[in-house]
Amino acid sequence: MEDRKLTEKESLEVITSMIARTKERYLDDGNILLMWGYLAVFIAILVWVLLAITRQSAWNFLWFMMPLVGGVATRAMSRKQLRERGVRTFTDRATSELWAIAGSSPIWVAVVCLILQCLTGNDCWGAMLAYPLIVVPFAEIAQGILIKEDSLIMGGLTGLLIGILTICCIAGGIVLHANWFQPLFILAFVAMMIVPGHILNRKAKRE
Amino acid sequence: MKELNPLLHSQLRLAIMSILMNVEEADFVYLKEKTESTAGNLSVQLDKLSSAGYISVEKGMLGKRPRTTCSITSEGQRAFEEYVEVLKTYLNL
Repeated sequence: MEDRKLTEKESLEVITSMIARTKERYLDDGNILLMWGYLAVFIAILVWVLLAITRQSAWNFLWFMMPLVGGVATRAMSRKQLRERGVRTFTDRATSELWAIAGSSPIWVAVVCLILQCLTGNDCWGAMLAYPLIVVPFAEIAQGILIKEDSLIMGGLTGLLIGILTICCIAGGIVLHANWFQPLFILAFVAMMIVPGHILNRKAKRE
Repeated sequence: MKELNPLLHSQLRLAIMSILMNVEEADFVYLKEKTESTAGNLSVQLDKLSSAGYISVEKGMLGKRPRTTCSITSEGQRAFEEYVEVLKTYLNL
């Protein structure tokens, strides 16, 4: 393409052709999703095993590894994706901000749980189990709708169903025993992140 | 009949503006690839659009690599929309 004058018809052709080129669907690979999925599953298994062996609830603090490790890795991986694609659309910004809010909210949940425990002595940490199974599925469903990706919507709905069950158990006073809850938690993250992550990777390679 | 904006009535500048109307930001490499232009020519046209206040050009680093990012300004959006409206009258659309 050069710096030359156009006829009116050519102008219209340039505009429509450039719009068509930018409308190409860019499907990010599912590596960020896979990283979060495997990280959650790894920590869930680790906490489950350590709880079973030692009976010390302090092992639950290992969950704080998730935002630390995941946050740093996500930043590095997003930069790589942006460098490879070279363009940022409205959808990219919307999904990025959606995940930033969903990802930072557990910090606030943890702060509220801590304050309530200090003030009332009541253990509210069950909320930390319900949180990722409500907020994360909603963020994932929204992303699935935005980028028209069914695997994200289905994965999000599966996670949400498990989240609703978790909330009902907490409200009904049913104890979330690690023996049945940890496998359910792992299942939710496999459905929400690992399965869609692999599907996205396969589609991205095909594209 | 109103005259078409001469700054936009050029193949490469119009292509750049059309792309930037559709994305939030695009880097130099992306624009070069989509417009199939040479780096030198693209650079000159970006400077012209930037001087007119139609686009903003930011030079920064992404990781360890330099990256030039372009995005359309509100003035650029208005100019593009006006260009399309005038173009419609020329083409009787």
